[in-house]
Amino acid sequence: MSVPAEREPTTSAPVPALEVRGLVKHYPGVKALDGVDLVVHQHEVLGLAGENGAGKSTLLKALVGLVTPDAGEIYVRGGAVKLRSVVDAADHGIGMVFQEQSLVPNLTAAENILLGGEGPAVRRGVYRWDVMRRLAQEQLDKIGSKIDPLARTDSLSFADRQMVEIAKVLRIEQRSQHPPVIILDEPTSVLESKEIETLFAQIRRLREFASVVFVSHRLDEVLDVCDRVTVLRSGQSVGEVATAGAVPRELHRMMIGSTGSDDHYHENAATPVAAEQPRLSVRGLSGKSFQDIDLDVAAGEIVAIVGVHGSGREDVCRALFGIEPTTAGEIRMDGKKLSLPNTRAACAAGIGYVPAERKIEGMVGPMSVAENMTLTKQKARCAGPFVAPKKQAGLVDRWIERLSIRTPGRDTPIQRLSGGNQQKVVLARWLVGGDIRLLLLDHPTRGLDIGARSEVYRLMRELAASGVATVLLGDSLEEAIGMADRILVMNDGRVVTEVACPNGGKPSPLDLVKEMV
Amino acid sequence: MSTPVAMQPVAEPATGRTGPRPAQRLTGFMPLIALVALVAALTIADPDFLTARSLTAVARTAAPLIVLAAGATLVVLCGGIDLSIAALASLTTVLLALWLPHLGGLATPAVIGVAAAIGAVQGVAHVLLRIPSFIVTLGGMSILSAVALVVSGAGTVRVVDDSPVAWLDLYLAGYVPMSAAMALLVVALIALVLKVTPLQSWISATGYSESAARLAGTPVDLVKIGAFCVSGACAGFAAVMLVSRQFSGGPTMADNLLLPAVAAIVVGGTAITGGHGSLWRSLAGAFVVTLLRVGLPIVGVPSAYEQILYGVIIVVAVALTLDWSKVSIIK
Repeated sequence: MSVPAEREPTTSAPVPALEVRGLVKHYPGVKALDGVDLVVHQHEVLGLAGENGAGKSTLLKALVGLVTPDAGEIYVRGGAVKLRSVVDAADHGIGMVFQEQSLVPNLTAAENILLGGEGPAVRRGVYRWDVMRRLAQEQLDKIGSKIDPLARTDSLSFADRQMVEIAKVLRIEQRSQHPPVIILDEPTSVLESKEIETLFAQIRRLREFASVVFVSHRLDEVLDVCDRVTVLRSGQSVGEVATAGAVPRELHRMMIGSTGSDDHYHENAATPVAAEQPRLSVRGLSGKSFQDIDLDVAAGEIVAIVGVHGSGREDVCRALFGIEPTTAGEIRMDGKKLSLPNTRAACAAGIGYVPAERKIEGMVGPMSVAENMTLTKQKARCAGPFVAPKKQAGLVDRWIERLSIRTPGRDTPIQRLSGGNQQKVVLARWLVGGDIRLLLLDHPTRGLDIGARSEVYRLMRELAASGVATVLLGDSLEEAIGMADRILVMNDGRVVTEVACPNGGKPSPLDLVKEMV
Repeated sequence: MSTPVAMQPVAEPATGRTGPRPAQRLTGFMPLIALVALVAALTIADPDFLTARSLTAVARTAAPLIVLAAGATLVVLCGGIDLSIAALASLTTVLLALWLPHLGGLATPAVIGVAAAIGAVQGVAHVLLRIPSFIVTLGGMSILSAVALVVSGAGTVRVVDDSPVAWLDLYLAGYVPMSAAMALLVVALIALVLKVTPLQSWISATGYSESAARLAGTPVDLVKIGAFCVSGACAGFAAVMLVSRQFSGGPTMADNLLLPAVAAIVVGGTAITGGHGSLWRSLAGAFVVTLLRVGLPIVGVPSAYEQILYGVIIVVAVALTLDWSKVSIIK
């Protein structure tokens, strides 16, 4: 892989607080980081932007020692470091406020702040509450927080808990004796808008004595609070923007890139949709995270739902497969009303679902290709109540050939296949029964390389041509636009607009982004 | 956030962690190796060990354990555990002893049916109330033990006329204990049913990855309830074997079989986390455990040490077979 480049001689500029050069991280079949470069100056708030899967999470994890990179270097104040654990990172003054909050709810704020580093607050194994209170108060004072250190954490608001987290992270100052680098991973996702303002004031304050890396999917927030933004795409840093005067649109263009559509999406294979009775018809569907969803999908049509993280589109998809409970509304399939109390009912109705988390939810890793392929439609491999080995072999081999699944054999554990071939087996699971009417594809190309993606797209086209209705949650806006006949834009649990997306008249990503944020 | 994505073409297949881990591959042969080693060791310690008479005794001792372990293996394969099997077997010995005078030949199917129903009830509690099987069956164990005490009047219930169950204590061809033959039959029958029906797929998928199984539309809940039901029935059948041998039922008669049964399952190499394993492995495991049990006095170890041995066996065997990728938060 890439050899760490020679460090340029530092000229007059002060040494960066944190610098990343050519960071590479492979996962089986996937390059999560593909030579990322990143510079965080002292007393700077750096924004990190990128679509889902651009490598943000992996990069952050590498910075706090949760992931060991395969190649590349991390420099702290000019010195190369190897970060093997969170403690390692803390020793170098790097701390992270995690997306999922990491406080123990039934302890006091003070206990949480000092957890794992009680120091003088514990003598002979006994808590000294006065010392603990004083130490915690010192931390809270740093960020000017008025929280009572002895308040139970679960009695605090989300915003206050976040302050506690920040106060906790700031304790790394004492370990490294240097201005710390604080990483905030999607800190605004649980906050109300007023609380966000408080958080931003806090971040600006942190800048006085620390450097901050700020990650958010809300580009307006990133531009608001950061001095500079680094954009990641496909595991690479693709650009850097000074936030003064920048607009979200510009950032977004960098995030999604501008690869020419060389018929990657097989757009010419798109089949015109007959506008008769819709195959799937959803009216007023409501659940915990979505309200009043109307959705029609005709046989042979591909409808994409786009929206940012938290728009509720995944939950709509899961509701259509009987996983997510609904509170109101009705679902009709070919005119017939459906009740979907569980996944079995959905399967029986001819609905198939390809989950986003292929390795955890899509497939059973240690089981064979054949078993994974026939897991749902058992009838297809059985004679009466019994498995018919010959029938199964014929069926599975036929689909292996038809989808050109590269596998040593049908009895190979599916986990030995590459990601793209695994996904084809997962797709085949819904096809072997020959009764598929509606396919729900939740990020069907996540984690796949470009060749495998293209094959999945081709397969989607073929299925649409054969009359299968498809609901697609694309991995990227481009994918949604490239594949869909129609796009629904969801924002905050509601469908805000519907955009026709015919071959030859595709909307631009930016048109959609306007509605999404 | 999300799983990482690469858009760069990546070399084919080159998937990292694949197939069974080396330790798991080893455990495939572990029970057989242990069996051979044990027989060899015991033969060296006591040259008289390798005789038809003592092997017959081993088989006869192993029979109830095999049946108990076989049933509980199904629950373990689904990713759960059934701790109530021994207590349920004890209760069933009492019921059988009480019912034999009234029901005669029908008493055996009746008590097995009751045991199966009790198992199913625990399965339903586990599935519907969403309580870990460990807790449900721990509670079940306590309840069933207490019921056995109450029903039996806290004492052994003698069987005066054991003719309806006596056949189980006969010998085939003079040497093969009928109980051992029946135990083998039970294992073979369940294993066959699994093999020739979709049940094998369903159970494995449920054990390896319940969420994936559910999303594939597999009847996860029914499969689990079924496993508990069969586990209960097996406990019932093991109880019948005990009664046929001891001419009585007792409220704690089978209680000391819980640890050996769990040991048999894990020594066989079935992963306690579910998915990986088989009934045949538990059969081998049951023989290993029985040989140890029989062998300890031969090599001069007081039988009081038996429980220590089970404890050590269970911990070591689980350490070797555990699917760490499932329980660790570090990927």
